[in-house]
Amino acid sequence: MINNWKNDYVAKPLPTKALLTGFVILALGLLMMALAFAIDHQRAAFNGIITMMFLLSVALGSLFIIALEYLVSADWSVPFRRVAEILSVVIFAVPIFAIPLFFNMHDLFHWTHLEDVLNDPILKSKMAYLNEEFFSIRTIVTFLILFLFWYLLAGRSFKQDYAPKANFIKITTKFAAIFMPIFAITLTVMAVDWMMSLEPHWFSTIFGVYYFAGSFTTALAVITLIVILLNENNYMGKMINRDHYYNFGGLLFAFTNFWAYIAFSQFLLIWYANIPEETSWFLHRSEGSWMFVSILMVVVHFVVPYILLLSQPSKSDPKRLKVAAIWLILVHFYDLYWLIMPTYGKHGAPFSWMEFYPLVVSVGVVMVVFLLFARNKNLLPIGDPKLPKGLHFHL
Amino acid sequence: MNNTIYGVTGIFETPDGIIEAAKIVEKSGYKRFDVHTAYPIHGMPKAMNLGPSPLGYFALVFGLTGAFAGFLLMTWIMTYNYPLIISGKPFFPYPAFIPVTFEITVLLASVGTVLGMLFVLFKLPNNSHPLHDTDYMKKVSSDKFGVCLEAKDEKFSEAAAKELLISAGASEVGTIYYDEETLNFKPNIFDVKFNVFLLVTAIVISGATYVLLNKLMYTEPFNWMHHQARIDAQVPSKFFGENNFSMRTPPKGTAARGFAPYQYKGQPELAEANLTNPLPPTRENLEVGKTKYDIYCSPCHGYHALGYARLNGQFPNPPSLHSEKVRNWGDGRIFHIITEGQNSMPSYSTQLSKEEKWKVILYVRALERAMNAKEEDINNDK
Amino acid sequence: MSSDFLHEPSVVEGRPSFADIDRQISAPLDQKPDYKYFIALGISSTMLLIGVFFIGITFYYGIGLWGNNNPVGWAFGIVNFVFWVGIGHAGTLISAILFLFRQKWRTGIARFAEGMTIFAVMTAGIFPLIHVGRPWLAGYLFPYPNQHEIWVNFTSPLLWDVFAVSTYFTVSFIFWYVGLIPDFATLRDRTTSKIKKIIYSIFSLGWRFSNRHWKNYEMVYLILAGFATPLVLSVHTIVSFDFAVSIMPGWHTTIFPPYFVAGAVFSGFAMVQNVLIFVRKIFNFEHIITVDTLEKMNKVILATGTMVGYAYAMEFFMAWYSGNQAESFVFLNRALGPYAWAYWIMVSCNVVFPQLFWFKKLRRSLPFMFVIGVLVNVGMWFERFVIIVTSLANDFLPSSWAYFKPTLTDFGILLGSFGLFFTLLLIFIRTMPVISIAEVKAAIHGSQPTHHDHERGEYNNE
Repeated sequence: MINNWKNDYVAKPLPTKALLTGFVILALGLLMMALAFAIDHQRAAFNGIITMMFLLSVALGSLFIIALEYLVSADWSVPFRRVAEILSVVIFAVPIFAIPLFFNMHDLFHWTHLEDVLNDPILKSKMAYLNEEFFSIRTIVTFLILFLFWYLLAGRSFKQDYAPKANFIKITTKFAAIFMPIFAITLTVMAVDWMMSLEPHWFSTIFGVYYFAGSFTTALAVITLIVILLNENNYMGKMINRDHYYNFGGLLFAFTNFWAYIAFSQFLLIWYANIPEETSWFLHRSEGSWMFVSILMVVVHFVVPYILLLSQPSKSDPKRLKVAAIWLILVHFYDLYWLIMPTYGKHGAPFSWMEFYPLVVSVGVVMVVFLLFARNKNLLPIGDPKLPKGLHFHL
Repeated sequence: MNNTIYGVTGIFETPDGIIEAAKIVEKSGYKRFDVHTAYPIHGMPKAMNLGPSPLGYFALVFGLTGAFAGFLLMTWIMTYNYPLIISGKPFFPYPAFIPVTFEITVLLASVGTVLGMLFVLFKLPNNSHPLHDTDYMKKVSSDKFGVCLEAKDEKFSEAAAKELLISAGASEVGTIYYDEETLNFKPNIFDVKFNVFLLVTAIVISGATYVLLNKLMYTEPFNWMHHQARIDAQVPSKFFGENNFSMRTPPKGTAARGFAPYQYKGQPELAEANLTNPLPPTRENLEVGKTKYDIYCSPCHGYHALGYARLNGQFPNPPSLHSEKVRNWGDGRIFHIITEGQNSMPSYSTQLSKEEKWKVILYVRALERAMNAKEEDINNDK
Repeated sequence: MSSDFLHEPSVVEGRPSFADIDRQISAPLDQKPDYKYFIALGISSTMLLIGVFFIGITFYYGIGLWGNNNPVGWAFGIVNFVFWVGIGHAGTLISAILFLFRQKWRTGIARFAEGMTIFAVMTAGIFPLIHVGRPWLAGYLFPYPNQHEIWVNFTSPLLWDVFAVSTYFTVSFIFWYVGLIPDFATLRDRTTSKIKKIIYSIFSLGWRFSNRHWKNYEMVYLILAGFATPLVLSVHTIVSFDFAVSIMPGWHTTIFPPYFVAGAVFSGFAMVQNVLIFVRKIFNFEHIITVDTLEKMNKVILATGTMVGYAYAMEFFMAWYSGNQAESFVFLNRALGPYAWAYWIMVSCNVVFPQLFWFKKLRRSLPFMFVIGVLVNVGMWFERFVIIVTSLANDFLPSSWAYFKPTLTDFGILLGSFGLFFTLLLIFIRTMPVISIAEVKAAIHGSQPTHHDHERGEYNNE
């Protein structure tokens, strides 16, 4: 009985139509991006950060989910690990979107203007950290480390399907443990460098956790969405049941609340203490139409997903869960827009077709990378000894 | 006497057995039956065909009540009833209300749901239920699983119920009786024992409250700061020897600051001879002098010291201060008059300090000079 | 062999029958305790009496007896408060959060940890009361229409604390009691003593083990767990707001809320682990509170300890990055200034020593984990000390700097708090089942029906 899943699961190739759609979306996105850079390269560069940070969220988040599964030796999520593994390939696409930003550093980062920095005692004191050389080194090293850990955590797993190694889980668990502190550091460094230093005077110790909350939710939402889509078309066998979905729904709900908790903590402490160098950041986000964006943030990023996921059936019904997952992915864009764009549009929220290119490009990248990489792979980690248990999961 | 049948019970040995039995009983059409197990069994609500639990709605209603009540209470208190600006926050500092709103929501939702479940849904406490103190209950509370078919069910008949349970695989069946009278026993409120109990309780509670609120709360160290480690004025104190007070009489000749006694009482000539104005006629001094003059002197003397003013007719008019006589007086003479008064003019010592008197004098001199200006004054100004 | 991944370690070792479980868990309630228990009770109640004495003289002479001085207005009182509230957090984490994550290993320790939560919060509650100097006026902390016609200040984090801690206590207590009801009912049906039967009957509320009730009971347990989880986060978050909403360098930093929560769970787990090592030994619960369970707790300690380390690093980095002189001074002063000893105790006990739990052998060794647990609690106590005292002692105005020296009374009250906590715990062990009978029964092998409906869509929303 424990092995009856083998009768259910037949590896089928993913449809090429989907891949083609992905290519079309990606091409459209890249076209928009090129056009944007041609028209207003500063604005395009700010949107470029949104693209990059969103893809990084997806990639880092899925790596984190993989590592977490090994560390807590979870069973229920084993059938979905392969989806996360394939999704984490996105990590290789992220640096591509960092390249155009390196050519527009002066448009993005105030601290790259040396003459201003030297006249500003506070920025001068940060020069040891915020300078172009060290900044580039940090980003490059971060990506190299993440590539390495992609291989250690995800890359090695594909061979398991056909030639399972006995001690694979044990060794990977160790890598996962090593990855955790590295994940924390790389994520924080990327968040501080690419988003916090846009306003170089401002600082907040919780910022890394804030970005983590968003990126974990996003990666989980993307995985949930992919799993539901695959399952609707019978790519993952017949064993995925509502209890699995319930776990996805529960985690999405929990992390929606976690994000709200972190965001509120940051806001309340800065609002209450009212120190000029900190409050300025929130003041930028309450100027002109930004006020509207900020207030709406509470609704779209907390109230709506909270209501969408509150009841028990909504966590396990794939149709409702799909809506919630798509919503959570979209609000991460909204969140990143709110974090990044006020530095560009100081007095009001800039909004035109240009602000949509990050969304189109990211969707295209995720689709193309996933479908391309998954073409001749199993969508279940069939070599994993824990897979039957994961498939037979019940509450 | 136990004579009324409560129901028929069957004991089962395994969790699988009880699930099957529950299904069989449910399918055979019984409505009033219950399954008793020492712990919740997975799948049992489905086997017994129970609907979803209503407690989620309890939590929702109580939680929303708490959230709104908490937030509105704080808004009313901080914004309307007693508005105060605290640490530079506005009268409606809503972000600061969120922590307490959250706590009240959780408190009300948790307490409300649990109490609602225990007391409304389950109708507990109920220690007189017929099932208590039976062998059946002793078994199912430990290691057996039991089904009980209640006699109140329309389909109930003792024999059929027993047969059904045996056919479902029960290892033991039994019947449970109860006594209608003990169950429906109603206490008499005029019972002597009960009334004595009430009386004693009332006396004990009121006595304890009295002692607590009126005696215990005022014993040391709960002195409400009535007794403090300081010396009260005009209380006998032995610190300075016997029969003394905490407050000491000052040594002879002591004068309080700013209250130096006036030396020339009743001697205007001496005052004129010995007192000179110590203050220079600066702008500041003159302005103070003008203010004080306008307040205290002008009602009788007039704004320009001409001798007729607002109180004209109610008091005898004072003479003009621009007369030759006054102009030739020394400053000391005027000081003396302000201090002691003259004719119907009272002393202004309580209204004007020494300094202020001199400033008023400077101003009066300025008025006099303005009235009798000479050619050279203009030239001096140049 | 890779098959060991398929084997889920059972919550309970061996295959005890339901009757065995009843007997073993209620054993401490049925038997006369041996001399070891009385030695333990003697020690803890002596500590409690010492604490009562020092609190008594504090009431009589005032809190001038404490070491608090002019810049350091908050010292041991608040340090102990935060410490004890933190200890309580592990209990809720085990009973609520691990319940939501369906971690079965929590079954053996949940009741005990919940009990510790309640006693820790009670202990913590004493400190703000005695710190205000006139504890009999504490009623003014609650917003009721009093004769002064004034209200409490709802914008003050200290008032949020009042609400948070009292809500936390109430909800934890309800959670604990709801769990105890079926166990009291089991004891009621087991006991032969008449008095005990009456007591158990009252507390069991006449529970009848009906499955019509169990269905709602499980739902209420889920709801309570769902509420307790954000609640436990909120409590230490609000405690951290006491500091973080101010503009004090070293206090005002945005990472405080999650950092305090992680630290609270960290120290709480260490405390639960320490006490469980004794309890399982003394009452022969080795097969219910297994080494596997303790190992998992050690993993949580390791994880939360590392999170705390991340927060330390982040604070230090941001203090420099902010370019704010007062901020960077405070952190350098912590590491190198007059309180460097406390700072390095904190860092070594909280970040360095728990890293030894990376080794499986050490993680499973009882004496070793005990020592680490003690060190973690020492470290976490010093963390609060470092945060509170160093920031106050050397703040913006160098002319008013002062060094804080605790007095005998400070130490006496600290000792007394441990006495109170352990006395309550020892009484709890003797009077109530420290392991949930119903939950353990539900979690052992063979306690649930063997077949499930595996067809898709036949999922029942319990």
